[in-house]
Amino acid sequence: MPILRTIQLGYSCDSKILLRNVTLDVEKGEVFALIGPTGAGKTTLLRLLNLLDMPTSGRIYFDEQDAAKSTRLRLEMRRRMGMVFQKPAVFNSRVYENIAYPLKVRSCSRKEIQTRVEEMLEITDLKGYEKRKAQTLSGGEAQRVALARAIIAQPELVLLDEPTANLDPVSVSKIEEVLTRIIHEQKTTVIMATHDMSQGQRMADRIGVLMNGELLQIGSPNDIFCAPRNREVAEFVGVENILSGTVVDKEAALATINIEGGVIEAISEFTVGDEIYAIIRPEDITFRLTKDTSSARNVFEGKITRITTVGPLVRIELDCGFSLLGVVTRKSADELNLSLGQRIYASFKATAVHTVKSWS
Amino acid sequence: MKKIIHCLSFVIALLILVMGVVGCRPQAETPGLGKDIAGTTAFPVVTAKERFKIATTTSLYDTGLWYYLEPMFEKKYNVEMDIVYAGTGIALEYGRRGDVHAVVVHDRAAEDKFIADGYGINRRYFAYNFFIIAGPLSDPAGIKDMPPEDAFKRLAEKGNKNPEKVKFISRGDNSGTHTKEKLIWSKAGFKYEDIQKAGPWYVEAGKGMGPCLLMANEQGAYVLADISTFLAYKGKLNLVPLVEKGEIFLNVYAAIAINPDKIPTAKLQMANNFINWLISDEIQKVIGTYGVAEYGRSLFYPTAGGGCNLPNCPTVDEYSKPVQ
Amino acid sequence: MTELWDAFLQAIQLIVSLDKEVVEIALRSLAISTTAVILASLVCIPIGGLIHFRNFRGKRPLINIIQTFYSVPTVCVGLFVFLFISRAGPLGGLGLLFTPAAVVMGQMVLITPVLMGLTISALSGVDKAIKDSALSSGATEFQAISTIIKEARFAVVAAFIMGFGRAISEVGAAMMLGGNIRGYTRVLTTAISLETQKGELVLALALGIILIALALIVNIIVNLALQRY
Repeated sequence: MPILRTIQLGYSCDSKILLRNVTLDVEKGEVFALIGPTGAGKTTLLRLLNLLDMPTSGRIYFDEQDAAKSTRLRLEMRRRMGMVFQKPAVFNSRVYENIAYPLKVRSCSRKEIQTRVEEMLEITDLKGYEKRKAQTLSGGEAQRVALARAIIAQPELVLLDEPTANLDPVSVSKIEEVLTRIIHEQKTTVIMATHDMSQGQRMADRIGVLMNGELLQIGSPNDIFCAPRNREVAEFVGVENILSGTVVDKEAALATINIEGGVIEAISEFTVGDEIYAIIRPEDITFRLTKDTSSARNVFEGKITRITTVGPLVRIELDCGFSLLGVVTRKSADELNLSLGQRIYASFKATAVHTVKSWS
Repeated sequence: MKKIIHCLSFVIALLILVMGVVGCRPQAETPGLGKDIAGTTAFPVVTAKERFKIATTTSLYDTGLWYYLEPMFEKKYNVEMDIVYAGTGIALEYGRRGDVHAVVVHDRAAEDKFIADGYGINRRYFAYNFFIIAGPLSDPAGIKDMPPEDAFKRLAEKGNKNPEKVKFISRGDNSGTHTKEKLIWSKAGFKYEDIQKAGPWYVEAGKGMGPCLLMANEQGAYVLADISTFLAYKGKLNLVPLVEKGEIFLNVYAAIAINPDKIPTAKLQMANNFINWLISDEIQKVIGTYGVAEYGRSLFYPTAGGGCNLPNCPTVDEYSKPVQ
Repeated sequence: MTELWDAFLQAIQLIVSLDKEVVEIALRSLAISTTAVILASLVCIPIGGLIHFRNFRGKRPLINIIQTFYSVPTVCVGLFVFLFISRAGPLGGLGLLFTPAAVVMGQMVLITPVLMGLTISALSGVDKAIKDSALSSGATEFQAISTIIKEARFAVVAAFIMGFGRAISEVGAAMMLGGNIRGYTRVLTTAISLETQKGELVLALALGIILIALALIVNIIVNLALQRY
């Protein structure tokens, strides 16, 4: 039973449509990541889910109850959730009062508050910070306070809006640590909006891609990153090779696709005549100095048009009748001794090609 | 716990504050006050004693006579006396609105109307003095010892010719003094509107008697003032009395009770006490000697004994018959 | 100009000798203005909060009007209240005119725009994210509003102090509504006015100095209390 369900959720403000037709289910105990570019509507959606704003259309069900029923109900629901905002908003008081706040508004006893706050300080590695004025904390520390504040009332659902954006790597890992811990220990459902692709891949059970207010694709990290549903998603998740073509032959599951400048083979569900995009992740491309005689079906020879070093990786752009982008480790690049203009062979398996319907 | 104690002490302090401001009332209202209705029972004007309010003119107030008389009256009748001062115009307005229980003014025409309209009753004249025209020692207009009307004529003439040297400060506030001034202008043959427009030599100050004297002093101007206020301020002035004699200068002070028939909240009993007290022999003597020690001469003449023998003086009944 | 120095000396002398009448007048000024501020804020802070947090048509114009009334002349306020509480007026039956309570009322009316407007400003200065955090943490609307007011407490207290300053320093309403009755409604400002009228400039200035000293003390106390919380 999904703990959270939205049906055709829409939200507009000042006659601008910010969210459109968002339908999703989130299961209890699931970690759901919401990714998308800035302005896609992630914050808007999270605010609606936290019942801070009312949608202009559609419905939200929390624990199978319609949130639109009454203000009182919404308050009760909100008290079973916690939210961490992108910018840590701490109150102008000490860390202790900040973290204690949710329990204070629920009229908990002083003793209980004290115990729980100490627990939270421990979990978020903020021991000794109780008396500090919250507004003097660094970004990372303040965000931990906000996180502690969000989970102190043991919510069933935690919403996070890019919680680690703008933080240093140490703070990022501390926060992810806490999150992982509560996910494991308390089976808390987590909905997290993030920019950080790898964070999404690492932590999420499922990912939803939100662009221009619409949920374009929901699926496992693998689905999203290897089988993006359309060009927008593909471009966003970093798929570089999107080749337009038509299926000219189909044998069992193997399709032969005519692309501009060449022919490739892919495992695909499409049939002859279908216009498709063939998508290949750069990591799936292998480079050789000599022609490959292994099982790889797709082998192309081409000229290197660009070499870019990105951290520990090297991106190689190849012109083999069509443009192909591959990625290798620095070590491999050194071994291959690559240089601009050099002619090399690129190959990829048929299984590495993901076909999607043409979306023009 | 600490916070509760803080809150409580704050609330208690607040209560004490409010009580202090407003006063508390341990006992019930004193009985037998005739037509009194709202009187002292209303929130939050509650004090231990009854409050009796009068409005008086600034000329009387500035002499300090009331500071002297007030404690005596309060003691005798066990009442708290509230004295509000304003020009005759406003004082009578307070009376009309029932905001005071008696008025003490010195403008016969306005008083007559006030009484005719039914707002005032039991008028008694309890003191009188004279107006003077005071001015700079140099007397640039040369009005010394002239009759009042002629002096005014001269002031207008010289003022128009030489507004830098000859100036006149008028009360300009519908007070008794101002009304008297207007009367003198008219007796001198002028229309008041013309005087008002005459020129920069005529200054409408819109202030009380004392401040007007000070202003005249600053500017070396002429001013019509009652002798008592003038004497009370003498120490601060370089002005001298220039015109002191004239029937028209007679200035009679009257005390009038507010009529309960028209104003239900009037306190006729206490007002009558007040008026009778003012015309009583004892107080008349006090009034007659007020100021001698400090200024060398008394500031007021008591009406008792018929000392006033000008045509406009009040009749015996008007000044000595006790009211009920 | 020697008057200033003389005034300063006289002020010290009046304070040190605890001149009975001056003490009475000063305490009365303090009591009246403090009461006015406290009572006014009981009304202004909730309403200011309401105006700030709710969106409605005419909100901007309303705030403009409130701010316009920061500059209302005190004597006009006095006159306005006078017409209400004079025996001839609608509230005449209460017999409030020429009593300290009337002065409190007048000062309340006077400082209401200031308290309300500055409360709204203070609340506007609080980050919107604070409200979100509060609601998100499970606060009811009322709890969230209280939290925001607490967040804005420094600015709100500044509003108090401003209101107090305007109340204790005004003379128009106190004169009109209190009548400057000796021993009953005379406050520092009306006493200054009377002494000036009587030509006692040095005494008037001395009383003025005492008034400022009073305001300073109140200011210090309030700020100390604020630091503690």
